Amino acid sequence: MTLTTKLTGLLAGAVMALATAATAADWKPSGTLRLQIGFGAGGSTDTMGRVIAKVMKEQTGWNIIAENKTGGGGVAMFTGISKMPPKGNVIGMGVNMPIMINLVKRGDQLPFDLDSFDYLGTVAHAQLALVASADAPFDDIAGMVEYAKANDGLPIAFSAAPQKFLMSAVDKEAGAGFRYVSTKGGAENMKLILGGQVLAGFGSGEHLQYLESGDVKMIASANDSRHNYAPDTQTVREAGYDVYVDPYFFFATTAGTDPEALAALTKALSDAIASDEVAEVVKNATQTEALNLGPDTTKQMLVDGVENVRVLFAD
Amino acid sequence: MVDLATILAGFADAFTLWNLAFVLFGVVLGQFVGAVPGIGPVMAMAIAIPFTFGLDPLPAIAFLVGVNKGGLVGGAVPAVLMNTPGTPDAAATAMDGYPLARAGKPLKATKMALFSSVTGDTFSDIVLITVSAPLAILALRMGPVEIFALMIFAFSVLSGLIGNSLIKGIIAAALGLLCASIGSDPENYTPRLIFGYFELFDGLPLPSVAIGMLAISEILRRLSQIRGDMRGAIELHDTGNPDDRRVTWAEYWGCRFTMLRGAVIGTILGALPGIGSTAAAFMSYASAKTTSKEPETFGKGNLHGIAAAESANSAVVGSNLIPLLTLGIPGSVGAALIISAFMIHGIQPGPLLFQDQGRLIYGLFGAMIMANLLNLWVGQLGLRFWVKVVSAPESIIFASALLLCIVGVSMATGGIFGVAIMLIFAGLGYLMTSFGFSVVIFIIAFFLGPRFEISLSQSLALMNGDWSKLVNYPIALALLALSMVSLIWFLSRTQSDDLPPETSIEE
Repeated sequence: MTLTTKLTGLLAGAVMALATAATAADWKPSGTLRLQIGFGAGGSTDTMGRVIAKVMKEQTGWNIIAENKTGGGGVAMFTGISKMPPKGNVIGMGVNMPIMINLVKRGDQLPFDLDSFDYLGTVAHAQLALVASADAPFDDIAGMVEYAKANDGLPIAFSAAPQKFLMSAVDKEAGAGFRYVSTKGGAENMKLILGGQVLAGFGSGEHLQYLESGDVKMIASANDSRHNYAPDTQTVREAGYDVYVDPYFFFATTAGTDPEALAALTKALSDAIASDEVAEVVKNATQTEALNLGPDTTKQMLVDGVENVRVLFAD
Repeated sequence: MVDLATILAGFADAFTLWNLAFVLFGVVLGQFVGAVPGIGPVMAMAIAIPFTFGLDPLPAIAFLVGVNKGGLVGGAVPAVLMNTPGTPDAAATAMDGYPLARAGKPLKATKMALFSSVTGDTFSDIVLITVSAPLAILALRMGPVEIFALMIFAFSVLSGLIGNSLIKGIIAAALGLLCASIGSDPENYTPRLIFGYFELFDGLPLPSVAIGMLAISEILRRLSQIRGDMRGAIELHDTGNPDDRRVTWAEYWGCRFTMLRGAVIGTILGALPGIGSTAAAFMSYASAKTTSKEPETFGKGNLHGIAAAESANSAVVGSNLIPLLTLGIPGSVGAALIISAFMIHGIQPGPLLFQDQGRLIYGLFGAMIMANLLNLWVGQLGLRFWVKVVSAPESIIFASALLLCIVGVSMATGGIFGVAIMLIFAGLGYLMTSFGFSVVIFIIAFFLGPRFEISLSQSLALMNGDWSKLVNYPIALALLALSMVSLIWFLSRTQSDDLPPETSIEE
């Protein structure tokens, strides 16, 4: 061993000792902290998750890696997390809707329930819109139902289960005869609308450019509230059908994690979400402001949400 | 329409030393990760994206485009040199590339792949830059029913790949479609054949199946043939003829029609999201083979086979940007990652993109042209390096390739589950090859299966389940008629070519 390496070693040791002393009161992950993303590479969840991991790493100095764990809109990832020992070295990032729907539809087959996790917070709330081609002969849900009845049904493009359940609930009540054209995403819904193959479909941000360019018009908000960019457009619920979907991007870890670790993780996440960088990415990816409900409200949101799904989307 | 000043300003933005450095770095990285078995450009891009946040949009996206394009060239390297393609589209390149490399001409084979890849890529980039707007409108008119008919047509062309046993070909295809149906159904999201594994909810992980079937099964086969003597993974014969180490102009020019056809097929399929480079590569290969005057030389190291596959799969990447930029629809995972890079920088692909960000888009086009030139140059240098690497003893090469595949798949699929699936399919691939079933047909069916199913479901929903409504879709009808013709033609050609008449009676 040369003198230089010895010196470097000493120096590194000293720095590490100092660093430990300075943060001895604070909890930190025992090894690498993994931020697992329940969706594939290249979507809005993935984009936000990877930037959050990067910012958290910069702010805390912890070693954090982001990884994609796909399968069932987060069900596979949360299955894995529910079975891990609660050491506070993993955070799962998912979307509430697929988890809640699976809990309601096949809860007996799932190895977890809502109590299998400790909740850390949310990062954003997605706005889901029902839109139609600009030259469609209707402007709202009532008109759409009328048109469908008069024209032997109406094809609607959808890209996720909640969208179909929502429209089936409307259809059940109204008898409109909607037909459902399954697609691989909001952009493909827009393509089918622009190409004239369907008259209506769902968008969660993909539609905004087309609203601006005048190619589509908004029929309704699928959320429980109106959208910030379209305050005059009714929600489906306001149109007289007591259904809505409210997608949140949320974080959770294995239940039973040490409270100190939970507090540290919650704080690290909320600091990262409060950063300008994450705020900008959230705005760019979901067209809404970053929104962290905090641990308690996040859990309440899921508990209430499951009840909502159970009542509204049960067959 | 974007005015000329914006276009020029965009190109001027692109051609700076700073951007050149990013594109160069991207191309080098892309070629490297593409050439290392098991690790692909997609993973490199996914990891790099958060770090592009601090960059300006143009160098950030130029870098990612460089990785993507470099990966295309790199991906052909293990396919040609070791017959271990990491992606299904490179499997088409391996069909003639590997025999040629085995014949002692690895540099010739990889260079042909490089030249035809850059040719196809440049062709589709030119189409993208000049006529993307009208093409996008045309693509919009191709609705689900037309796409469904187009896929039937693709399958009919691909029947040209079925070897001398029609039955075995159909069995392989059916098995591929069966595996493609694992996961949730596209209409009601009911899980099928997942046996309690929620990891399978979205279907079998594609990298596991592709690498297991194509690369690992081949490595296993080669390992089983080692008899204790030290051999290079590829034998380099020095014939003393410099033409065996390069592609002559006459050879390149002789493939011009093959490459043009490949580039056109790739460009068309790339502009229609969802069908992808695998179908393009094999359709181009199948049509090159059937229209060739000497189809029996295909699969034995014919340069046309390499040219057909590489020009088509590379052309897909350029024209994939047509639906991406005009509609925000990604045609592949690589394209989805480019969208997410746009998103990070607050740019939404869509109808207003050319209007709002015209300068950036033409800057991106400039970067793509740079990436193509750099691909050629870096490739020329890199191929020598890879040929040297692969001439190391096969006990070392195959063991490291195996390790890299396992690491790569576990990273790409997020854990050991994907590795287990990969090993299962490696075993299946080994058995299928041993019993004379085509792994390639299985893989094509597997990769096209999900899009085929969703197109069928979409078409049925649109036509309300009434097939007689097909008369309202003249393009689809024409494509279906064309499929019948080509099916009969391809099958009659392959059957008569591959079977001596006396054995065909027993078959």
